[in-house]
Amino acid sequence: MRAFAQAPSSLVLDDVVRMYFSCRPEADAAGQYVSYSSFVDLDRADPTRVVRVAEHPILELGGTGTFDEFGIYPVSVIRDDWRLMAYYGGWTRCESVPFDVAIGAAVSTDGGETFSRLGPGPILGRSLNEPFIVGGPKIRRFDGGWQLFYIAGRAWMLASGRPEPVYRIRLATSSDGLHWSRLDHDLIQPRIEAHEAQASPDVFSAGGRYHMFFSYRRSIDYRGKAGGYRIGYASSDDLVTWVRDDPQAGIQVSDDGWDAEMVSYPHVFEMDGRWYLAYLGNGVGRDGFGLAVLESGLG
Amino acid sequence: MSVAPRLRWRRLGHVFDVREARLPDGFMGFAQAPQALVLDDRVRIYFSARSVDANGGKYRSHVLFADFAPSLDRLIAVSPEPVISRGGLGCFDEHGIFPMNVVRVGEEIRAYTCGWSRRVSVSVETAIGLAFSRDGGRTFDRVGPGPILSATVREPFLVGDPSVRVIGGTFHMWYIFGTAWRRVPGSSIPERTYKIGHAVSVDGVDWTRDEGVQIIPDRLGPDEAQALPSVVEIDGAFHMVFCYRETADFRTNVARGYRLGHALSADLISWDRADADLVLTGDAGAWDSDMQCYPHIYEHAGQVYLLYNGNEFGRFGFGAAVLER
Repeated sequence: MRAFAQAPSSLVLDDVVRMYFSCRPEADAAGQYVSYSSFVDLDRADPTRVVRVAEHPILELGGTGTFDEFGIYPVSVIRDDWRLMAYYGGWTRCESVPFDVAIGAAVSTDGGETFSRLGPGPILGRSLNEPFIVGGPKIRRFDGGWQLFYIAGRAWMLASGRPEPVYRIRLATSSDGLHWSRLDHDLIQPRIEAHEAQASPDVFSAGGRYHMFFSYRRSIDYRGKAGGYRIGYASSDDLVTWVRDDPQAGIQVSDDGWDAEMVSYPHVFEMDGRWYLAYLGNGVGRDGFGLAVLESGLG
Repeated sequence: MSVAPRLRWRRLGHVFDVREARLPDGFMGFAQAPQALVLDDRVRIYFSARSVDANGGKYRSHVLFADFAPSLDRLIAVSPEPVISRGGLGCFDEHGIFPMNVVRVGEEIRAYTCGWSRRVSVSVETAIGLAFSRDGGRTFDRVGPGPILSATVREPFLVGDPSVRVIGGTFHMWYIFGTAWRRVPGSSIPERTYKIGHAVSVDGVDWTRDEGVQIIPDRLGPDEAQALPSVVEIDGAFHMVFCYRETADFRTNVARGYRLGHALSADLISWDRADADLVLTGDAGAWDSDMQCYPHIYEHAGQVYLLYNGNEFGRFGFGAAVLER
């Protein structure tokens, strides 16, 4: 792996917190990347200390013509009794637009070192009102159920002839983690423009409410600082109705350094009484991910 | 099961020859996967014709129709333009619709579409969409920009070829799903294998599939590709007509190309393969001598009709046959 450490997602183990992330080998001759997902183990007592970096991807890429032939990104892992379940975005390449994404699921019985697919196809792909880019899954289990927060594409916008995707945050629920029912509407209303793109919903429960951090950007011209990814915030009592209040996110781009142009892909988790926020910086994770610790209480 | 009744189909010939029937400007031939809608005074037969992309020269399929006198011996008119718009950028049906199955449900006319979108490592992906007509089947509007059935865990790609019937108040769909994309000798691109599956629904929108379950046994082995299922009830038994071919070397090798298959069921659950019981009588024409594919069965005025394509996957149009009782 050469660069990128995208989409950090945590799994708290006995001595370490395992951070799953996605990374890329060198681009091919045509300048195209594939993505793999792997993990790094951080010291539970001092998560700035790297204990181990996995040497292999947790899952090989899919076979010819399958939804995850060209990438597995991001991945979200959760415990299910004696096993671990991983939900991931599988990437394929298209002709008129650069790619499509669908959500796959895989099982680990070795503590999260390796996973095997439930089957060769996706558990959640395109549907009537989610015509493409069904991806970015984050798996959660609140109140005895299973919740899958994800994104679904709503438009490919042409900017100087180049297709740029717009997507929104969605929710599917399940009683077993295998069969999913889609809520079939957007959870978060757009704020900066009608075609605001939203991604990486990260939901946690604290103080009797649900909180969501997510990232958002303009539909076009988003690769630099002005229109690039920012972190938004919303809260909910029922996981379905969300009130957006971005200033509550409490994290902005830095004045300089690795996270000066953009911040994205927030992931909040609790460990040993402290709350942590992992996130990506410039180039959507080209230089790795960072970690922040919560200073004030959760409202 | 009792002795299977033979289906003897008498050829009516090349009822729609694209070289004689004028297609609208911009269409360079092909009239694939004919599908009928019976109207008061005519039979409307939808089919997929092809245009050629200015950029890159690839084909794109569009759905047109031809109206015929009920006996199919007189062409009344050809639609002046496609009945459904092109799919949007990045959508499942962006690069064509083929086939489109039109179904009357009470007062409604709805269409189940097989949408095509191009891929990079393989040539194409397909999924099944839904559209409604409010003008008697002249034009159709999509219910949404995405498909109602697409790839799932055990049907990883190439979900397509829908054929829907309401039987006993339940919607039944027969369709195909891909089982392999693989490199074969003599081909520079991966070739595909697909099998026929079955789904049911109470409203025709939300479907329950027997996911990944192939309902029609193979005759050629695991490399058999099965397509375009069409089901009709005759004298208390359900008959399915479909087409099948080898996975490799099927385009020009007559012995490995598409031909018609036939299966029988008493309960719509278990199917017995009975290809030999499907007989096409009458002389084959220059248009259907080497290949028969993309069948569709419909009933009208007490007769059962079979529409199908012939040589070169329907390059020259479609023909018909009528069931002999």
